[in-house]
Amino acid sequence: MIFQKAKGIHIEGRKEACKKIPIKDYLSPKYVYIPLLQRATNLKAEVSVGDEVKIGQLVATNEQQMNIRVHASISGKVTGIKKAWHSSGKMVDSIEIENDFKNQLIETIKKEENVDSLTREQLIKKMELAGITGLGGAGFPTHIKYKTKAKIDAVIINAIECEPYLTCDFHFITKYPEKLLKGATYFMRAADAQKVVVAYKTYNYQIREALQPYLSKFPHVELHPIKNIYPAGWEKYIVEQVTKKTYNGLPAEAGVIVNNSATAITFCDAVEMNIPLIARPVSINGEGINHPSSFYVPIGTKVSELVELCGGYVKGLDPLKYNYIAGGPMTGRAIFIDDLIVNDTLGAVIVKKASEGVYPECLGCGKCADVCPVYLTPTEIKKAFERKDVKLLGDLNANKCVECGLCSYICPSHIEITEAVAKGKDLLRKGAK
Amino acid sequence: MARFAGGKAPFVRASEEKDYGTKVIMRDVMIALLPVILFSWYKNGIQVYIDGNIGLLEMFYPLFFILIGGFLSVLMEGIFYFVTDKENRSIKGVMQKLSLSFPAIPGLILALLLPLYTPIWVLIFAAFIATIIGKMIFGGFGHNVFNPALLGYAVVGFTLMGVINNAGGLFNASEAVVDAYAGATPLGKLASSGQINYDTLVAPYGSLWDFFIGTIPGALGETSALAILFGGLYLVIRKVIKWYTPVIYVGTIFVLSWIIGAVTGDAGLWFPAYSILSGGVMFAAVFMITEPVTTPTNVLGKVFFALFLGVFTVLFRFVGSLPEGVGTSLIFMNIFTLPIDKFTAVIRTKRFKKPGGLYLGILTGLLVILAVYTLVKAGAMYTVYIPFLGWVI
Ligand code: SF4
Ligand code: SF4
Repeated sequence: MIFQKAKGIHIEGRKEACKKIPIKDYLSPKYVYIPLLQRATNLKAEVSVGDEVKIGQLVATNEQQMNIRVHASISGKVTGIKKAWHSSGKMVDSIEIENDFKNQLIETIKKEENVDSLTREQLIKKMELAGITGLGGAGFPTHIKYKTKAKIDAVIINAIECEPYLTCDFHFITKYPEKLLKGATYFMRAADAQKVVVAYKTYNYQIREALQPYLSKFPHVELHPIKNIYPAGWEKYIVEQVTKKTYNGLPAEAGVIVNNSATAITFCDAVEMNIPLIARPVSINGEGINHPSSFYVPIGTKVSELVELCGGYVKGLDPLKYNYIAGGPMTGRAIFIDDLIVNDTLGAVIVKKASEGVYPECLGCGKCADVCPVYLTPTEIKKAFERKDVKLLGDLNANKCVECGLCSYICPSHIEITEAVAKGKDLLRKGAK
Repeated sequence: MARFAGGKAPFVRASEEKDYGTKVIMRDVMIALLPVILFSWYKNGIQVYIDGNIGLLEMFYPLFFILIGGFLSVLMEGIFYFVTDKENRSIKGVMQKLSLSFPAIPGLILALLLPLYTPIWVLIFAAFIATIIGKMIFGGFGHNVFNPALLGYAVVGFTLMGVINNAGGLFNASEAVVDAYAGATPLGKLASSGQINYDTLVAPYGSLWDFFIGTIPGALGETSALAILFGGLYLVIRKVIKWYTPVIYVGTIFVLSWIIGAVTGDAGLWFPAYSILSGGVMFAAVFMITEPVTTPTNVLGKVFFALFLGVFTVLFRFVGSLPEGVGTSLIFMNIFTLPIDKFTAVIRTKRFKKPGGLYLGILTGLLVILAVYTLVKAGAMYTVYIPFLGWVI
């Protein structure tokens, strides 16, 4: 009660509309825009305007920082470096490729013959070369996780997707259950681990149904149902639930590595077919969309084309009264202009009513502190931030905030308390330097 | 391409849903006050009318008095907004601000804290102190340091008690005719006599059962533990308050009073029971120390606040010989809400690590010292000789 274990809270899923419609492939957009930015890292273009590129060809890199590699997602001609809206909320230089609709693959994309004899090092190398990043939203280069020195017992596949409205992982898993299990198995081998745990939400029982028939072929895989709460998809929460252990820095301390389910499916293709990360699933959802659905699209596709495929915005939509959100509604970002491109971390675009109305002041009810999964006290962090008291911010562990958004969600007075904590976290980081 | 609205994550908010939010919380507080208001009306109006001591019209007076209290604070807050808002002064603007600042609650609670025959002009004065000084000057809802109603009550209590007593004081028409009370509320008697004695403290008013039901003299809202418990239960179920804040507060008073009773003479459970059932402890426990704005925000803060408050209530009762232990201690503790919030937040995050452990040690130490001091002082007030404690002093 006083040092209570954060149990998370149930938030209405609002997924049904999008869950009913199967995921569609949309693999040949006329143009794609490959952003020269991954996480906070700028990339160098490896192609010039006028070049012909094939699917899977390396187009941008940053070798200094974790060897990030980005590949062409369609075949065609590089027609320019253009600015495009990116899920980080900024306009970002992007490589524009015009589709020649010939779908030419780069020569390296071919079936891998000796899959079963690949060593741990070879698997990790494949991850690195294929430019696999966490598709769950963090976008961390996967190979870094696997280069750990720690002893890893299990690889956990995060199939939770706990934010409301999100369904792309759900669709992706139920469409490719076997690939998921294979990809997870390669992950397991890449970590020298003994087992795979697939953590899913009880609410998404269809995931269990989809995976069950294959489990006899994958005896090292365990399914782990997790309660239908938010933030159940948070890495630490899953690790605590599955292993009953906790950690401070990385999950490797608890002997596990966590990967998103879509990443596992992508990795399966990377191992078996040498296909780099060039496409990902995206949901287009929200009350502002006529027929919400999910798509499997090349990286760099314009979201506006997907919105068209969903029948466009609802009739009479006044954009100024709606939010256009890149990512999930709990942690995503409002994008001002609906000219977004799909990048590696973009799992969803949600168009929903913006909040309006006026709300009272913070009444000090303490609900924000009650729900915080890392047991922070948001109101005090806010005050410390307003006084610019860096030491107090440190005492209050402002740096531990995972920006899950629960405190703002629960606040009865609609206070932007998550934002305030995030600012406190920023100030602490800058101040501490 | 279209331009969309801005906003901050999360884009899903509980407060945008129906039946959730600060307005609902405040509505729930008013609903919880209902049993208290109704009991007060019953005890001071209906029952007295049935006894034949007042006329039909006068029967409605208690209800009227309480509602006037609520109305006054709404009115004053409205006028305040109207006067201070120089740029867009409009009735609509005032109405909107009022809808966000829950003006009726301080007035209602204030009226419930006052005795029945408080002259209306005193009520107006108290409402002014509560609303304007206690709330608006601090910046309105969410910014006030002191519980507004309590501030209004305290100012009136210190300055105008004589006026209230002359006007009929704490007794309703039925009670005033009973000699046995000898003109005092139960807690007033303890303060004046200094004796822990069932026959003088409880017996004149009936039994402890009467204390629980609330048919004893006292301010309008404070006497009935039963009605208050109903309200409290509702608030707990609606998750407006945490159950342990009142429980810890009442528990602390109970335990300390029990020890005091035991070491100074009559060692019975009746004394601690009497201590929590008189002097507005119950009312404060449910409606005032849980008031979110002026009490700590986080869970640990609430716990410490309730503990300290319990000790201070007892201390002020016995040491200052003020019958108003509850009100004084609460106003006093309101000052410490902010620091308590800050230190307990650090304890929450750092646990026993630096500096959490240090703060925890200081808070606990202070609490223990205060509790011991209270016991010693209270014990010394009585004539019974306690060798060990006497030696300590
Ligand atoms: S956003 Fe940060 S402070 Fe708020 S609940 Fe989540 S972790 Fe806690
Ligand atoms: S920020 Fe919101 S949830 Fe937190 S104490 Fe204030 S009103 Fe309550």
